[in-house]
Amino acid sequence: MKLFSEIYNCYYQVVARILVEATDHDLTRQKISQLAETFGYQESALTIVPGLLQGDWQLLQESPSNPGHYTSRLKHTPVMPLTGLQKSWFKSLLDDRRICLFFTDEELDRLQTWLQDTAPLYSPADFVPFDQYADSDPVASVMYRQHFQTILRSIRSHQTLKITYYSGKEHLVSHTYLPGRLEYSDKEGKFRLYAFYWRKNGRWRMDILNLGRILTIQETGYHAENPPDIDLYLERSLNPEPLVLEISDERNGLERTMLHFACYQKTVEQLEDSGTYRCCIYYDNLRETELLIQILSFGPVVKVLGPERFLRQIKERIARQAQL
Amino acid sequence: MFEFSELVKRFEKIRSYVRDFYIYGFKTREDYRQKSSRTYDNERRRMESWFSGYIREEYRPDRKKSVSITVDSNRIAVNPLYQAWKSKSFTSNDIMLHFFLLDLLRDGIARDVEAVTDGIYESYQVLFDSQMVRRKLAEYVQEGLLTVSQEGRKHVYALSRDIPIDDAVSAPLADAVCFFQGAAPFGFVGSTILDSFRISNDRFRFRHDFLVHTLEDEILLPLLTAIRENREIQLTVRSFRSVVQRDILCTPLKILVSTQTGRRYVCVHKTISRRLVSYRLDSIQSIQLLETDANARKHHGAYERNAPAAWGVTFGTSRSPETICLQVLLNEETEKHIIHRLEREGRGGTVTRLEPGVYQYQTDCWDASELIPWIRTFTGRIRSFTCSNKAVEHRFWDDMRRMRELYHEE
Repeated sequence: MKLFSEIYNCYYQVVARILVEATDHDLTRQKISQLAETFGYQESALTIVPGLLQGDWQLLQESPSNPGHYTSRLKHTPVMPLTGLQKSWFKSLLDDRRICLFFTDEELDRLQTWLQDTAPLYSPADFVPFDQYADSDPVASVMYRQHFQTILRSIRSHQTLKITYYSGKEHLVSHTYLPGRLEYSDKEGKFRLYAFYWRKNGRWRMDILNLGRILTIQETGYHAENPPDIDLYLERSLNPEPLVLEISDERNGLERTMLHFACYQKTVEQLEDSGTYRCCIYYDNLRETELLIQILSFGPVVKVLGPERFLRQIKERIARQAQL
Repeated sequence: MFEFSELVKRFEKIRSYVRDFYIYGFKTREDYRQKSSRTYDNERRRMESWFSGYIREEYRPDRKKSVSITVDSNRIAVNPLYQAWKSKSFTSNDIMLHFFLLDLLRDGIARDVEAVTDGIYESYQVLFDSQMVRRKLAEYVQEGLLTVSQEGRKHVYALSRDIPIDDAVSAPLADAVCFFQGAAPFGFVGSTILDSFRISNDRFRFRHDFLVHTLEDEILLPLLTAIRENREIQLTVRSFRSVVQRDILCTPLKILVSTQTGRRYVCVHKTISRRLVSYRLDSIQSIQLLETDANARKHHGAYERNAPAAWGVTFGTSRSPETICLQVLLNEETEKHIIHRLEREGRGGTVTRLEPGVYQYQTDCWDASELIPWIRTFTGRIRSFTCSNKAVEHRFWDDMRRMRELYHEE
């Protein structure tokens, strides 16, 4: 089994898509180009289109009755069975404690039977997430599994749910929500639900609920026809001003910070002759405190230059420490 | 004349470029002096092509251009760096045989090489050399797409039996793949399943996700094989601060994953020094599997005994662990989250209430300097910090002094 194999090549996927369409009906050169541009890399069409139409890859044939139109030479719609690598990867997942969130015990037994002859690609026990928080979600609990599966079903069908949960301030709150998306943090071992709440003013409001704090969920049977676009809401919570840092390369500071903050959208530039770097991080207001703590962990290797509000918070903490 | 191709033959060729473009992003053409300019231009063009949509170009004041891959991992459905795994070059015969073989064998009839070669010609009017077909069939048996069996004196080939996915599990299966392609090791394999079944991940996003891990997977796989088979290995490791490479004889025991810093390590038992040591996966250039280590079980026992006192990935050089003691001030009414932080992030240390509003955290660990970044996150409420290793304690307070100078004495 090879990890780097042409079987998974992007071009194969694009050609498969073209062949699927060319099984049902004739395709023009323009349509073939359009598919290659949509599903390939930026320049893939320059190779795929001539490959298919100029004889090197003889997978399409020109219609004799309709020149300039092409159909598939295949007898069936192309389907690729799961490869050994894919089955092996999935077999490993059956030993992952989070797999029970997706299936019932009976379904898991069936999957084990189907994959009984497949060797796992890895064993989750070989991995030690040594700095994961100790209070991760109780994914194996019956209630947690039920909540998770109800939420997933409702995300697929846009069904609203009546959810009762403990808020961060430990108040018991109950609302009817339209679930939109689940977010997982490996660091915390926790799931969060991004859900919409219909306000009295006739607008949606997006809330983020920790799944571990949900007490009850009831399906309402009501399905929203036009669910709101989560990405649009998330875009609004992005801070207009980036966090600006000056990073010294002392103690391998540059490499450590770049890796640590790699999960954020950022830009970096080297400052002339000073041995320091200037980094701009674009962050979500919801993650400001977390980012502040991360910055403090680097000590004097990282200096915050802005925005003003962020800088003030850092200065306040350092001044408070100086007084102790 | 040289013709540019988006595809590459070997993954290791592009591994360091993708990493540099993603992690650093400020380097210009001149920073890649060890390679020719044309090599840099080609690799940059590949990155621009694979990761279009995530590419940022900037001109520095000296008019040199830097190109970077920039993405908020919390906002994406699938790791864009997986594209690098989908760039293996192929020949015209490879792609034709791929589709013809899978199409021809869909009827469930097992065929020998001659029958497959003839079948392709009859069905698709393309003639292949039977040796080439034989090689491809053998390759697809290896990949698990086909099975081979003996029929008389001939080998006959058929499509592999697929998982009989029924309606009841197809939706949860799709959900599971959408989740684990972002949350499990070798996630790019999951993304190839999404590709094959044309499923898009609109259900899950990932916070604190270190996309760059995927580039280490080609190193990770043989390490896991060696762990499973208790094999000794030879690692070639390159230092990050220099270009020096060294070979290390060892037995791998565990993969240590930092969910906070984005680093992954392999913890090994070094054969010569007989110590437990961790190496970053992104520093490993190559790995060679050797014979079975008869003492592997003993090394695993040593790891299990030492791991509880490891804060991170260091197992120390002294026989006894170092002790750290931190006291923090907090408002018990409004700042309970600080107590929760000490408990959930403290990795087994003890948390004690000394008096109202004063809490003490204490732990023993092999290398106290590994805790310093975490201790600093309590800046503003640290009443006292002591360590049995005085060098660590002095460095901590010296850093605090430098922080004051950095912000308040400008």
